[in-house]
Order: sequence, then C-alpha cells, then structure tokens
Amino acid sequence: MSLGLREILNKHNGILSGTSACPGCPENMAMRMLGMGLGKDVVLVVVAGCSSVIQGNAPYNAYNFPTVNVAFAAGPATAAGLARAYKQRGKNVTVVVWAGDGGSADIGFASLSGAAERNDNILYLTVDNEAYMNSGGQRSGSTPFGAITTTTPEGKKENKKNLPLLMIAHNVPYVATASVGYPHDYIEKLKKAKQVEGFKYVHVLTPDPYGWLFDPSKTPEVAKLAVQTCYWPLFEYYNGKLSISSESLHCLDRRTRRPIRDFLSAQGRFKRLTEDQIKILEQYIDNVWEKLKSMLDNQ
Amino acid sequence: MIRKVISGNEAVALGVKLARVGVTGIYPITPQTTIIEKLAEMRAKGEIETEIVRVESEHSAMAATFGAALGGVRAFTATASQGLLYMHEMIWWVAGSRVPVVMVVGTRAVGAPWNIWNEHTDFTSERDSGWIMAFASNPQEALDLTLQAFRISEDERVFLPMMVGMDGFILSHTKTNVLIPDQEQVDDFLLPRRQPYVIDPEDPIGMGNIFPPEGYMRLRESIDLALRNSEDIIKEIGREYNKKINPLGDYSTLNVSYKLEDADYAIVLMGAWAGDAMEAVDTLREKGIKIGMLRIRYLRPWSEKEIRNALKDKRAVLVLDRSTSFGRGGGPLYVEVKSTISDIVPQIKGVVSGLGGVTVNKSELLYIFNKFVEGLKDDVIWYYPKEVGKIELRTPRDIE
Repeated sequence: MSLGLREILNKHNGILSGTSACPGCPENMAMRMLGMGLGKDVVLVVVAGCSSVIQGNAPYNAYNFPTVNVAFAAGPATAAGLARAYKQRGKNVTVVVWAGDGGSADIGFASLSGAAERNDNILYLTVDNEAYMNSGGQRSGSTPFGAITTTTPEGKKENKKNLPLLMIAHNVPYVATASVGYPHDYIEKLKKAKQVEGFKYVHVLTPDPYGWLFDPSKTPEVAKLAVQTCYWPLFEYYNGKLSISSESLHCLDRRTRRPIRDFLSAQGRFKRLTEDQIKILEQYIDNVWEKLKSMLDNQ
Repeated sequence: MIRKVISGNEAVALGVKLARVGVTGIYPITPQTTIIEKLAEMRAKGEIETEIVRVESEHSAMAATFGAALGGVRAFTATASQGLLYMHEMIWWVAGSRVPVVMVVGTRAVGAPWNIWNEHTDFTSERDSGWIMAFASNPQEALDLTLQAFRISEDERVFLPMMVGMDGFILSHTKTNVLIPDQEQVDDFLLPRRQPYVIDPEDPIGMGNIFPPEGYMRLRESIDLALRNSEDIIKEIGREYNKKINPLGDYSTLNVSYKLEDADYAIVLMGAWAGDAMEAVDTLREKGIKIGMLRIRYLRPWSEKEIRNALKDKRAVLVLDRSTSFGRGGGPLYVEVKSTISDIVPQIKGVVSGLGGVTVNKSELLYIFNKFVEGLKDDVIWYYPKEVGKIELRTPRDIE
C-alpha cells in the first residue's frame, strides 16, 4: 500500500528544525524521509561526513532519533555491536547506519563488506552525493566519470564504483536504490527494509547543489533527472530477485530513455565533458543496464 | 574457588566468562588469539551466553565492542601489536564517549620489520588515550585485573574504558597455577552493569556530534579528572577484591613494592620480568647490596604520590623499559619516573631492553643491576644480552 501525501506528513519526521545543512541539502530531505519510512524504535549510527555536521552542535541534535556518531570506518561494526546488545536485552530496535559515499565506497568499505558478509541485522544507508562534499568536494570512488571535483579539476578519469551491485554480490537479503527526487519510492523501500531480518542496504542518490554546481532550488529536479535519464537506476533486490522500480522501467529499452545530456547540462560539474567523453559515460550507463537486464533474464 | 594450571590467555577468557560479558567483538592477532578462540569455544559449548561478533578487523572489533557497550551490555575485546595500533582511532573514540569497555592486550612488538615477540611499545603508545591502563605480571594477575577492570570502568566515579596488558607469550602462552574464583564470588564482587547513558529509543539522546570548543575542552578535562580521581577507587575496589575473591593477591595499592623500605637503590619496571627481577634483587641482597624494586602496575592513572613515596630516599633509581619513545633517549617509563622524582632522587638511570622478544632473564638482570650499583655512566643505555653486530642501513638484511 502506498502512502498519500497527507499520510506521509503525519508520519514520524526524521529531522527537526535548526539543522546546520546547506540550502537545498538533499541529505536533509533523505533524513526527513527516513523517519517517514521507519517510524520510531530506530537508533541511528552516523559516520563522519556531512551528516555529522547537519545534526548541529551538541548538546542539541536535529535528528529525531537517538544518534551515535562514530569515526569514518566504524559505522557498520558499531551498529553490529548495538544490534547484538539489543538482542541480548530482548529489545526490538532497528539499527540504521547513515553514511556518505566516501564512508561507504572508500574508507568504510571493509567494515561495510564485513557486516554484509555476517548478515548483521542492521539497515545500512548510503547517501550518495558522489564526492567528499563535507571536506569541500573531493573525488570519491563513487564520483562518476568526467565530473569535476576539487581533486579532479580536469574531470574524473575513472568510472563510478557501483556499490548497489557490489552489495547484491554480497548476497544479502535486501538491496535497494532510491533518489530523493522520488520520496514515495524511497519511503516504501525503507518500510520494506524494516521488515526484513538480516542485512539491508539502501543507496540513495542525493544531488548536492554546491558540489554538482546547480541552483539549490533545483535539488529534487536534478534528483529526478538522474532517474529519468537512466543515469541512476531505481531497483530493489529482495530474496534473490531483482525488480526494476516503476520510475526506471523505461530504461530497460534504450529507445525510451531520456537523453543523458538533459541530466549533464542541469549541473556544472560535467561542463568540461567532450563529445567523446559523453560517449564513455553513456557506455557506462549502458553497461549497468545490460547487467541489470541480464540479472532479470536469469532469474 | 579452584586452582588450575592455565595460560594467561585462558585466565583472561575465564575472567570474561565469570564477568558475564554480554557482547565480545573478536578478531585474531598473535599472541592474543587464543583468548578469542577460547571464548568462541565456550560459546559453542553453551558455557557462555556472550554474543560474539566475528568482525573483519581490529578497528571493527573496537567499534563493535563500543556499540555493544552503548547498547547497554558489558562488552569486551582483546588485541595486540598492529591490531592495537589499527584500533587506535576507536580507542580514543571510546574514551571520549566515556563508556565503560574492557580490553586485554597481549603485548608485542610493532613493525616494521615483522616481529611477533614480546615488548610493551604497543601498550605504552596508548598511554594518552584516556583509558585506565593496568599491566599484569603473571596469569593470576591477568585474571584478577580483568575482573577488577569491569568493576573499575563501570564505577560511576570513573566511567572510563580500561585495558589490561600482559606480556605476549611470556604470560599469554605460559601455563601456571591460577586461582579461579567461583561464579558466586564474582557475582558478589561485580555489580550489575552501570554506565553513564544508554543509547535507546526510549531515551533519545545524541552522542558524539560536534561540540563547541569550550564544551569539547571541558569534556577533555573531565576525562583527565576522572582518570586521576580513579586512583582511590582502584585501591578501594582492590581491597574488596582481596576480601571477596583472592586473599593471596595484594591489590590495595596501584603499584607493587619489593624490598624497597630500607633500599639505597631501586629498580622500576612493569610486567612479567618483575619475577626475574625480584630474584636478582634477592641475590644482590644476599651480597649485602641494599636494593629493591617498584613494579608499575598502573601506567594510567600514574600514581605520583605512591611512586614518590616509594622512591623518595633512594640514592639512585634505575628504570627498565621494554618499550621505546624514539627521540627521547629513554623509554616511556623512564620519562615518567624521571618527571615524577627528579627533585628528590639524585640519580635516575634508564635501560631499554627486551625489545621484540630479546630474552632478559635473571642473569641478564643481575648483570644490569650490578652495573647500575657500580655506577652507570650514561643516563640511558640500550642493553643487549649478547653480542650483536652493527646493522648497515644501506643493506638492512646484512647483519655482521
């Protein structure tokens, strides 16, 4: 059952007023929706990143959850410890790790992989703004090919590390992608993840106005464009089965995809891309979709 | 209470069992490995209900233990050497969070080059992290201090994590007679888990987010205060331990004196070589040399009062370090002792030895002590028990 707008607004709000987020911050949006999807009985583990700042200065906390902040690579293991403690004490708590793409794809990848392999009963969220935005916008393993960052002023030379597919390869019970441009889809996926026993992974695309170079009023629009142009596939992997979310179904056929240029031209970080480089990016997107299609065909 | 011949690592594992630990984050590293293997074995046999998280690194071992402690249960982990250094970031995080956690360190050299044998440098390099740090000198003490560590770190006047060191292989793998208390005795001594806060949906609080500068500094000061004030609490808990669990132990003081009262010369050291040193002291005493020994059992808190009292009227003091503080011309203990007594003891000398498993037994210690009494010229020397050639830096593998 999907939620109507009125119903959503009555739900637990993940974020309180007075955050330290930048205008147009997609992580603020994603956190607000987290509350709508998961409700109460949630404990949040926040690893170093924008989200350690957005919650504001102690003794205040703009997140509407009990929150533990930890060092970069410590999120999944800290959550595993918390989950085991609640199990010992017979308490039903959803332990959520909230990490950026740097924390997930790079410095924290070993502990993420370890928790997935152990099938720890936690929900891991990657909020992906495709660079180390909290330290000023340096490239990460999750930065796409061609994007300008402060450490790749000439444009990144390597493709994006595909974390959702890597997590599927870990054979965990639940993996999903989402975009802050599609709140209903994201909230539904969170609701579902909460019901699953074991390791859950949700990867949310969170376009950053300051790092991606677009106007802060356009965050939801860019987040939608990423999905419409098939740059960011929305899917769900549950019980060993992949399903493409309705917002992304048109991407299965190359002819019905919206041109990638619509997504690229909505932001400044791709402005140095040449025609040849756009082809490389298109090739990457094609490859991702071919992989997804072959997974669909083989199940 | 029963008496059993067990290794230091087994003694620690039994301590964890008796303390009814809720969650253990485990990762193997020599020479600590058999502690966590023993715990896994006990869990498999149903002898303990401890939840075991088999993590993928020591960084995660400390993180999982931290998480469990925040979640409201007694939490334990063990490590050594490179593993301790890999944990370093989380060790600070745990202390800064003021959450009670207990860890045992089977001490070992730190690379490069690879060396699996004993020294104390891994342990001493954590001395500024805000943990209470005790060091055992035999397997019995490893068990006793592990049990006391839970009580000390969970005392509301302390609320700090505590680590217990023991010499790798020398204690971790050597079996001796150990008095093992009964569960009832330990239950009577260890109070139910207490901690300053629990992360729980019922009481939603935030922990570890950005602190403004003054607030941050206040927190730093509170750690320092809690650590220094823990001295009296450690003694109080030690006396209770003597009474309730081990009447043969002596835990009413932080550090341990041996034949110091009337001594002209004093040796200061930490860890397992204290046993050999006591024998060497006895031998010198038989020859009429008035020498005694002070064994540092608590590196943190550093009991300035106790140490000054013990060494106040000595003619000369020799500090033995099994660890290094590069560029300082002496080990950490030497530096600490010197800063504590330099105004009351005319001569303070230091010896760095026993690194990376270099054997220093009674005969070597006798040699060192004799030289010391004769009057060491240098303030600090690096002592090798046997002739060792120079190492050419250009070809580090060629040892003459």
